[in-house]
Amino acid sequence: METLDFLFGPGATMRPAAMAALAVALLCGLLSPLVVLRRLAFVGQGVSHAAFGGVGVAAVLGLFAAGGGTASLLGAWGVVALFCIAAALGMGALSRRTGVSEDTAIGVLLVASMALGFLLLQLQRGRAGSQAVSVEGFLFGQVATIGTLEATMAWTVLAVSLVTLWAARRPLLFWAFDEPMAESVGVRVGGIQALLMVLLAVAVVVTMQLAGVILATAMLVLPGATALQLTRRWGTTVILSVGVGLLGVTLGLVASFETDWQPGPNIALAYVALFAVARGWNRLRHRGGGPTLSS
Amino acid sequence: MTPPAIRLRDVTFGWPGQPLAVENVSLEVQRGERLAIIGPNGGGKSTLLRLVLGELRPLQGSVEVLGMPPSRARREGRIGYLPQRSAADRGFPLSVRQVVAMGASTGLRPWARMPEDRKRRVDRALDQVSMAELADRPVGALSGGQFQRTLLARALAVDPDILVLDEPTSGLDAAAQEQLARVLASLQAEGELTMVVVSHDIRALAAPRGEGEAPAGSFCDRVACLRRTLHFHASPEGITPQVLAHVFEHDLNSVFGQVEVEARSRAGD
Repeated sequence: METLDFLFGPGATMRPAAMAALAVALLCGLLSPLVVLRRLAFVGQGVSHAAFGGVGVAAVLGLFAAGGGTASLLGAWGVVALFCIAAALGMGALSRRTGVSEDTAIGVLLVASMALGFLLLQLQRGRAGSQAVSVEGFLFGQVATIGTLEATMAWTVLAVSLVTLWAARRPLLFWAFDEPMAESVGVRVGGIQALLMVLLAVAVVVTMQLAGVILATAMLVLPGATALQLTRRWGTTVILSVGVGLLGVTLGLVASFETDWQPGPNIALAYVALFAVARGWNRLRHRGGGPTLSS
Repeated sequence: MTPPAIRLRDVTFGWPGQPLAVENVSLEVQRGERLAIIGPNGGGKSTLLRLVLGELRPLQGSVEVLGMPPSRARREGRIGYLPQRSAADRGFPLSVRQVVAMGASTGLRPWARMPEDRKRRVDRALDQVSMAELADRPVGALSGGQFQRTLLARALAVDPDILVLDEPTSGLDAAAQEQLARVLASLQAEGELTMVVVSHDIRALAAPRGEGEAPAGSFCDRVACLRRTLHFHASPEGITPQVLAHVFEHDLNSVFGQVEVEARSRAGD
């Protein structure tokens, strides 16, 4: 109770971070079933790593400098978001233009963006009088830097994504389930795919403050994967995915508070544990014959 | 005068650097008519279907569906289509009813709820394919035949004027084939739909026997035999063994069905 009070209570130091974490968990929980069912885990990985390139560019532009103010920080997150969106849309385009497989295209962009980000951060660090940007923080999350601005950003992104997902729910589901047929009856599959990519990219931007670019994928993949171990109903899948998302984040934050370790890895491990439990329960339930639910 | 359901005039199509897949095919299907297109594998059946669906454009000649370009007819939901191999993901956590409802949901405004008449269309489509009792079952728990009928119901839920079926029974076991044939025969009996069925297996054209309800015979009004060009185009009764032998040439396996060929080869061992 004391821990929860510390996290969510009025005026608590961790409150902005905890509020941002809840928004991120809701957002990722909503997107996660589609990510898993459309096998976009690696795409999510590619997009989140692309964010690191954006971090490098924003750092060199001086946007992450301490005391830069709200406008500067918003600019920084804008640059990162642009990088993510460009990567999300670019992966498909690169694969189509060059004829390489999408896996390869993602692999190329991921490495290029990580290397670029790291070099730019080193460049920025070499400058006289500049404030060092924590590489580790961007890789694994830096919950201490989450303030009211970041929390507001996360809830805004959640609200806009919710409205967008609701408006696009029918064509989105049709496309995800059966792309050729959806296209043939007039669903604009290119647009729907691009829409999901942009939603993923923006979700990654608000997730990376909490979990870092490396662990952001955990939040996009594991809630949906866990839910799909437990049900074959669409509505239940979404509800469970959001529930698992919230539970994992809460467990991770509490563990992080108790151990005084960074929340990102704690949250990721909490998700893995929830997935393992769901998987075990699914196997146990179907022991002695009968098909298990697979995702 | 209302235009025919499907009108092909001297249609020719081929992929670059390859022999023509379809050559000089002229064909008219009247509204409410049931046409079967049979022919050997590689004989151009699928190409012809894709021309009718507007997925391919003819090199020469013209294709009209309900008097309009086929791609427009498709977008407007005038053509229901059951592909040979669906790309649909059966691991998706959706119920039969949710999949069928996709067919009825196209073109709805983002904020609109599904209107009552479209809901009724979904119910009717489920009835038509005898899947009403399984409507709430997850698609992952269906047999191959049940899943095929679910996809057929989705095609019907679009409320099409024309139903196009590509090898509808392929890959199904005998019982599922018979069940599907029964569904198709009852659709035919309702008499509203124009239907085009493509098959390499002539048995798919036979109406279901048994239980004395449906008479044995052909389930379609006309048969077109296609091997690059149309070789025969008439009522089913007019198809003689000579015509079939000509169309299928050395591909008689597909006429008699793989099962019988396998049975014979086993008997010969």
